[in-house]
Amino acid sequence: MRAVPAPSALMRFSRHELRLAWRDWAWMFSGWRNTSLRRTLIGMGLFYAVMHLVAYAVLSPRFAAGFALDQTALAMLSVTVLLSFTMMLSQAMESVTRAFYARDDLDLILSSPAPSRDLFLVRIVMMALTSWAMSALVISPFLNVAVALDGVHWLAGYAVLLAVSLTATGAGVLITLSLFKTVGAQRTRFLAQILAAVVGASFLIGMQVVAILSFRSMSRFTLLDPAFLAEHAPGANSAWWVLARAVTGETGALIPVLAVSVFFFAAGAWRGAVQFRSIVVLALGVTEKTPRGRASDRSFRGYSPLGALVSKELKLIARDPWLISQTLMQVLYLIPPAVMLWVSLGDTAGVSVIVAPVVVMAVGQLAGGLAWLTISGEDAPDLIATAPVSAFTTLWAKVLSVLALIGALLLPITLSLALVSVWGAAVTAAGAMIAAASAILVQLWFRAQAKRTNFRRRQVASKASTLTEAAASIACAAGTALVAAGSALVLLPLALLVCVLGIAWSLRPKHGVQA
Amino acid sequence: MPSSSTASLEILNLHKRFSEPAVNGLSLKVREGEFYALLGPNGAGKTTTLRMVAGLLQADAGSVRICGIDAFADPIAAKQVLAWVPDDPMVYDKLTPVEYLEFVAGLWNMPPDLARFRADSLLDSFGLAPHSNERCGGFSKGMRQKVALAGALIHEPRLIILDEPLTGLDAGSARQVKTVLTGLVAEGVSIIMTTHILEVAERMADRIGIIARGQLVAEGTLEELRTRASADGHSLEDIFLEIVGGGEGDLHERAADDLDEKVA
Repeated sequence: MRAVPAPSALMRFSRHELRLAWRDWAWMFSGWRNTSLRRTLIGMGLFYAVMHLVAYAVLSPRFAAGFALDQTALAMLSVTVLLSFTMMLSQAMESVTRAFYARDDLDLILSSPAPSRDLFLVRIVMMALTSWAMSALVISPFLNVAVALDGVHWLAGYAVLLAVSLTATGAGVLITLSLFKTVGAQRTRFLAQILAAVVGASFLIGMQVVAILSFRSMSRFTLLDPAFLAEHAPGANSAWWVLARAVTGETGALIPVLAVSVFFFAAGAWRGAVQFRSIVVLALGVTEKTPRGRASDRSFRGYSPLGALVSKELKLIARDPWLISQTLMQVLYLIPPAVMLWVSLGDTAGVSVIVAPVVVMAVGQLAGGLAWLTISGEDAPDLIATAPVSAFTTLWAKVLSVLALIGALLLPITLSLALVSVWGAAVTAAGAMIAAASAILVQLWFRAQAKRTNFRRRQVASKASTLTEAAASIACAAGTALVAAGSALVLLPLALLVCVLGIAWSLRPKHGVQA
Repeated sequence: MPSSSTASLEILNLHKRFSEPAVNGLSLKVREGEFYALLGPNGAGKTTTLRMVAGLLQADAGSVRICGIDAFADPIAAKQVLAWVPDDPMVYDKLTPVEYLEFVAGLWNMPPDLARFRADSLLDSFGLAPHSNERCGGFSKGMRQKVALAGALIHEPRLIILDEPLTGLDAGSARQVKTVLTGLVAEGVSIIMTTHILEVAERMADRIGIIARGQLVAEGTLEELRTRASADGHSLEDIFLEIVGGGEGDLHERAADDLDEKVA
């Protein structure tokens, strides 16, 4: 009898990665409860169907009038592709950094005789396919409707998305490798996370800033105004629109786009695979050393238990690179309102109505993340629980830490806003603090014991807390804008906020969690 | 206020049930300045018992008094004189040992000068002084365990609860820890410790308690246990295996029978 040949390392790693990815996905969405997974799948199916209806509503008038590939259409398609690219590049940099630094199974695999470059190749392919699948999920309803209304040439959109995903993944690897080479293993993780945050937000923010400077409007869609495009954008036949033309299925545009993407992906995969083992060894050897010197010789500060807890939380937050990148992201999103303020100095009318909701929304989201980190993300719960400190003091210290950080972020924004409108500044500050307080309340009600490193998964661990936290921020943002505008309709978002908080309170886990 | 003549730890008829009883009417006393080792097979209820004593788990019934303080009625006062060190060292990766000790000292509201003095002395004793300004994230498990131990000792507790404190320590570190602990006992501090390293219990403990199926099945000095187990001259390992049974699978079942035969 002939012996069955053993599967190659590539095959084994592929199966291993697929199984891990599936289990990770199932865990995120269901917590391994079959009923919940079924419900999630049904919910996603329904959402996907509804998205097709939305796509039909958006596209059918355009196709009914006869689709013309004018500057507006080309700009719209290009913006969509470039937006996908920045998002995918940001995601790729995150994933590549994690592939190098996350210990998980690397000790086992690197100590085995299996070729580690095969593992990297499998992982980079998985990264590219995952980002392609995620973006395809969002964009495919529009492509499918376009195919149904205008023809199969729109299927090329899927190929362009794949090309974008391959390019972003390859570029992500190359950028991360360059960081390793230039700043070393110690700093690469931190810088890569910061860079990923900046890249992810830069395109949208850039468009918004241009819209503000050109039209004094926070809406990015004003840039798609035909007159503006006619004046500032390249002509319809320009090579700049190669991405848009590729989406519509023009072979002359699609082939170079695909070729460039394959080149980038191959370059990234090859360089990454060759250097994978040495980089991982360097990354795993990184220790968190701090400069030696006065710090160890100084006297202790006479902290009270409350002061000690607040000081500890602030130190840990300040030293959390992922949180810093997330905070930076929120701060980046505040750039457009800041530009809006700058161009509107001396023109008080309506500015706070535009700026306030953005600030309130950003503060609400940031407060939610910080509140999770301080309230639920405790790495030494036994130490805190066995200290002679009441549970109330512990929780109050954690809440105070969040409020202090939010206050520090809010102060310069409020002062800048006060230069334009004191009333607007007061309303914005009040709205932001209410949003922060709502987010903190939700996190208090849904607190769970977790390691701070689980921060990424907080949003899938409790979907109820994530949704209610987001809804509360939206209600606060809407309410603030209406108060700034002097509208009596403010009662509506206020009622919504009360309802959302009531729902969150009723959905909170009933078993007590020791703080 | 703790009364001076009382035991450092007094557990009376403690019960805890999960899906089945984990601790089932356990009672024991640890005297002032005594090193008490709590032994038992996996799943016997050692950690559950200690977690209830430390206030990390709510008991179903029974009472715990720490230095005369009812730990369930006045947990804050009890925690003031208590230290807990779990087997998995819980320290903050982003803090240095000095910062960690400063934080713990703050939790126990210690005067800063005394805290700094104690911190330096503990870092020295555990051989951590050269690493006092490095973040714990880069430490080995043994070093993290020593940081956690230093944190537990900085506020000069009267009762120290240690759950497998020597896990992950190399021979040198284990000796450092044992020296510090022995010194503390000599100063009148009480220690209750679980361990799977029977040799440590044999050498360090004044008294040994053996727990199985959530109950104390044997207790006494090494000599008393030898006498009870009719195993004169034998090691603690022999006595332990005689009392709780030799194989993992039948440990629980045999423990109660052995109790009847050898202790009662």
